[in-house]
Amino acid sequence: MDKRESMWDVYLRKGMSRRSFLKGCAALTAMMGLSSDKVAKVAEAAEKKPLPVVVWIHGHECTGCDESFIRSAAPLASDVVLNEVALEYDHLLSAASGAPFEAHLDEVIQKYKGQYILAVEGAACTKDNGVYCMSGGHTFTHLLQKAAAGAAAIIAYGTCAVSGGIQAASPNPTGSSGIAHFTGSKPVVNVPGCPPIPEVMTGVVMHVALFGTVPPLDSEGRPRQFYGNRIHDTCYRRPFFDAGMFAENFDDEGSKAGWCLYKLGCRGPETYNSCGNMRWFQGMSYPIQSGAPCIGCSNAHFWDEGPMSRRLPQFSPAVDVDTIGAGLAAVTAVGVVGHAAASVVQKKKRIAAEQAEKGSGEE
Amino acid sequence: MKEEKRKVYYLFSPFLRIFHWIMVLSIVVLFVTGILITKPATIQALEPTFTSMSMDWVRNIHFIFAFLFCASFILRIYGFIINKGDRLFPRVWEGHFYSETIDVAMHYMLLKPSHAPFLRNPLARSSYAGLYVMVLIEILTGFAMYYMTEPGNIGGTLFGWVNVLLGGEMVTHWVHHIVAWLIIVFAIGHVYMVLRADLMEAEGEASSMFSGVKFLEHVPKDACEVEPPTNAK
Repeated sequence: MDKRESMWDVYLRKGMSRRSFLKGCAALTAMMGLSSDKVAKVAEAAEKKPLPVVVWIHGHECTGCDESFIRSAAPLASDVVLNEVALEYDHLLSAASGAPFEAHLDEVIQKYKGQYILAVEGAACTKDNGVYCMSGGHTFTHLLQKAAAGAAAIIAYGTCAVSGGIQAASPNPTGSSGIAHFTGSKPVVNVPGCPPIPEVMTGVVMHVALFGTVPPLDSEGRPRQFYGNRIHDTCYRRPFFDAGMFAENFDDEGSKAGWCLYKLGCRGPETYNSCGNMRWFQGMSYPIQSGAPCIGCSNAHFWDEGPMSRRLPQFSPAVDVDTIGAGLAAVTAVGVVGHAAASVVQKKKRIAAEQAEKGSGEE
Repeated sequence: MKEEKRKVYYLFSPFLRIFHWIMVLSIVVLFVTGILITKPATIQALEPTFTSMSMDWVRNIHFIFAFLFCASFILRIYGFIINKGDRLFPRVWEGHFYSETIDVAMHYMLLKPSHAPFLRNPLARSSYAGLYVMVLIEILTGFAMYYMTEPGNIGGTLFGWVNVLLGGEMVTHWVHHIVAWLIIVFAIGHVYMVLRADLMEAEGEASSMFSGVKFLEHVPKDACEVEPPTNAK
């Protein structure tokens, strides 16, 4: 653990050629969403920088983000974990367990203070001092604060770590939230998604690992190269939207023909992610391509923004905002007519009263 | 017939009047296209290449009228600067505003036979302030959705915070949609109140938005706020 290898050292140890190293660097550059003139920088970093220490902790979540992560194809998740970063601690992927493993975590935090990358999956559970999410005898929030204090940078993987996710959905019984309250002033990269795209997960950790800085972030702390576009604006079904051709039901002709899923509640127009251009699992597909409208899983509170198969909030099967709005307008119109009738009656009474007064004055 | 001695009050500058009618047109077009954007019409038997009534068109019309509406505020502001009668913000900082509002509201609730004469009554002026708040919400939420196609550009920087403030871009859509309905409810009430005032008092309430003048028999309580009247011919 004392002498830390660089990526180039790993290639040498494995007897791989310089040529394949450079090819790997070029592939990495592309995967991180960078332009090709950054290849030299990437190669330099991969050659000289020791493999970055990564501590990967899990809070309140389903570990689905890890399921996504291990399906990354370029770079391969196994490559990232074994050859491109020094993964020292991971709740889920580690073979070791028990007290020695927890002691190892403390050792790593001490030894690489201010140098390691902290990857966090899962929400921070805060209610009743966080007792609803514990590991190794401590609450997750305790671990999070301890690990965040010594981290160089923090990556929040998944909507849970970014904004609470499904635990934080109404009524949020465990008081879950994103990890931001527990990370102090450390730079945090938000990588939302339920789960995030595999290559986005590996791409972000490789960016931090190679450059030692967080990638360019947008106003919500998300890497711009992956969250800079709406799914709607990158969707291959967008021409059907512009042409006004919509699937009305999940089993109608439009649905079979692959028309736009907007009327089935697609959240593409509100969702920032790379599904439209990178797609999932080596570009095989993504939800909309498989006929399911986007549910906006990289949006902060998407669980509470249902129903997911409708564009507007629904109050009963037949009543939505438009029904209420039209009803309100109708009630107003009826009220106006009633008020008009009453006003006419009132005016007639007033004129009659005035004339009676005038009449009595003249006599 | 009774001989009436009415005075003519010049109230609304041409700029306010043009703005008003642009607003009417814009609100009608924006509402109709907006409803069509939320729930697009079902069009049968179409070919993408040859679609005539496309969603793209509906959206573009919505955007064009949104920009037209925003641009027309230049007229409104200019009128506000040059003409006293255009300054319609309720004078909430003056004590008599509240008693007068209650007086007018009592009449509208049919509890009093009439209300004191006004050129621009305080309740109506409050409702216009309410309309401007709703319009402002529509503008902010509208641009927040429109410009976020490119979050890094100037528009996204200027309006992107609205989505964060509301807790998500989907909520921005909903707020935009709900407030649109409230504006329609306002419009129904507004048209009614104007026609009612016109028919009951015959002071030129409706025609004032064309001619700019109102004809009043009594001295209105807010006469000091505008130019002195002239005699009717």
